[in-house]
Amino acid sequence: MSGAELLAITALTVRVGAAATLAILPFAVALAWLLARRPPPGESLIRALVALPMVLPPVAVGLVLLWLLGRRGPAGPLWEALGVDLVFTWWAAALAAAVVGFPLLTRACEQAFADVDPRYEQVARSLGTSRLSTFFRVTLPLARRGVLYGTILAFTRRLGEFGATTLVAGILPGRTETLALGIYSRVQLGEDGAALTLCGVSFAIGLAAMWAAERWLRRESQ
Amino acid sequence: MSSAAARIRAALAVLIAWALPQAGAADEIVVAGAVSLRAPLQEIVRRYEATRPGVRLVLTSGASSFLAAQLRAGAPIDLLVAADTRIVDDLVSEGLVNASDRQTLATNRLVAMARPGLSPSPTNAAALATPGIRRIAMPDGAVPVGRYAREWLARRGLLDRLAPRFVLTEHARATLAAVDAGHADVALVYATDARLARHATIAFEIPAAEQPRIVYGVALVRDAAPEAAGFFSWLASPTARQILQRAGFGAP
Repeated sequence: MSGAELLAITALTVRVGAAATLAILPFAVALAWLLARRPPPGESLIRALVALPMVLPPVAVGLVLLWLLGRRGPAGPLWEALGVDLVFTWWAAALAAAVVGFPLLTRACEQAFADVDPRYEQVARSLGTSRLSTFFRVTLPLARRGVLYGTILAFTRRLGEFGATTLVAGILPGRTETLALGIYSRVQLGEDGAALTLCGVSFAIGLAAMWAAERWLRRESQ
Repeated sequence: MSSAAARIRAALAVLIAWALPQAGAADEIVVAGAVSLRAPLQEIVRRYEATRPGVRLVLTSGASSFLAAQLRAGAPIDLLVAADTRIVDDLVSEGLVNASDRQTLATNRLVAMARPGLSPSPTNAAALATPGIRRIAMPDGAVPVGRYAREWLARRGLLDRLAPRFVLTEHARATLAAVDAGHADVALVYATDARLARHATIAFEIPAAEQPRIVYGVALVRDAAPEAAGFFSWLASPTARQILQRAGFGAP
């Protein structure tokens, strides 16, 4: 395996993970806040639905996505009218990663918001701060440790997404071939050395990200 | 506080810009090729790119049946090289490929391989049924090499007896990898793949009279990028033919 190939796979993996994480961050934070502070009716069902992509076989998630994004699925006429074809593209890889990673991030954020003492928010509100402003200036800063930790955890977990990605994004070198897909296809080719190299890169990225997250947590808590 | 927020916003903007897919990827031609052709196709692609500055090709390899399924599901594949012309026939009858936009590329043969240390190593078809051979690596019958191997075993009247011993593999090269690593006792593989084995050895050759007809076909997909037609024609060039011949493939 050439150095350029290795670099391309690594960069693509990190880009897919970063884009997916950034895309779901606002939604996960909003939903987490809602569940922690204003639990809507049917809260348990919502929680169960949010957790679903985490407990379903990733391949099943991929099949549902393929059906939703495909030309032959229920939204097929819509995709055709819009002239967009998402299946087997970079976007599909990012979407698969986003869906599978969403529960992890929401859970971590919800825990972080639950740990914030509501009295701080009540004080801010009583001083005339708007609800939105209270969230951004009181709640979010106090919950930032948990939110950031959840973000890094979701990003790192996403580096390994395989089942959903392979169905909906395929394994196209330079377009959708991430580290996890690259390892699998090389094992199938009997190129064990190249597969181990990619394993090493996964190991290094995962370790670096989690180590940074742990260090950040420790620094913040001191 | 505000400068920190501004810095975070700037960092986020840079991250988002970098994370989004870069433009230009759409100019590439995607060639999906049977995994048994991987090495020669890589070389053919390199040689073609050298003659056409500005044209970029991306090669994706896998079981021909899997690549065709991806094509049907809407994968952005411009050109498919399948290890079985029957896969191309299906694409033509489904309207995904024009009947005029197909050609045959190469031929191949099947050989029987034994894992390192297998004793006694089988020397003919009947010996595959001995109890010492417990695992036979073989892809699904939809995958070309799995189909060819089953056709030969059926012709020898061995298919039903041996089927319980099949361990399913993903494609031709995964079949070779399974027997090469000793995970399977024997495997029926392409003669061209057998050359790539590091540990497994050829147990026996299948007589020419019994060989299934293994013909590789190329299909230019109907909505392919215009530049893909150039590569389609170039596959018939003496240079491409020579590369295939060196890798052990027969002329169509």
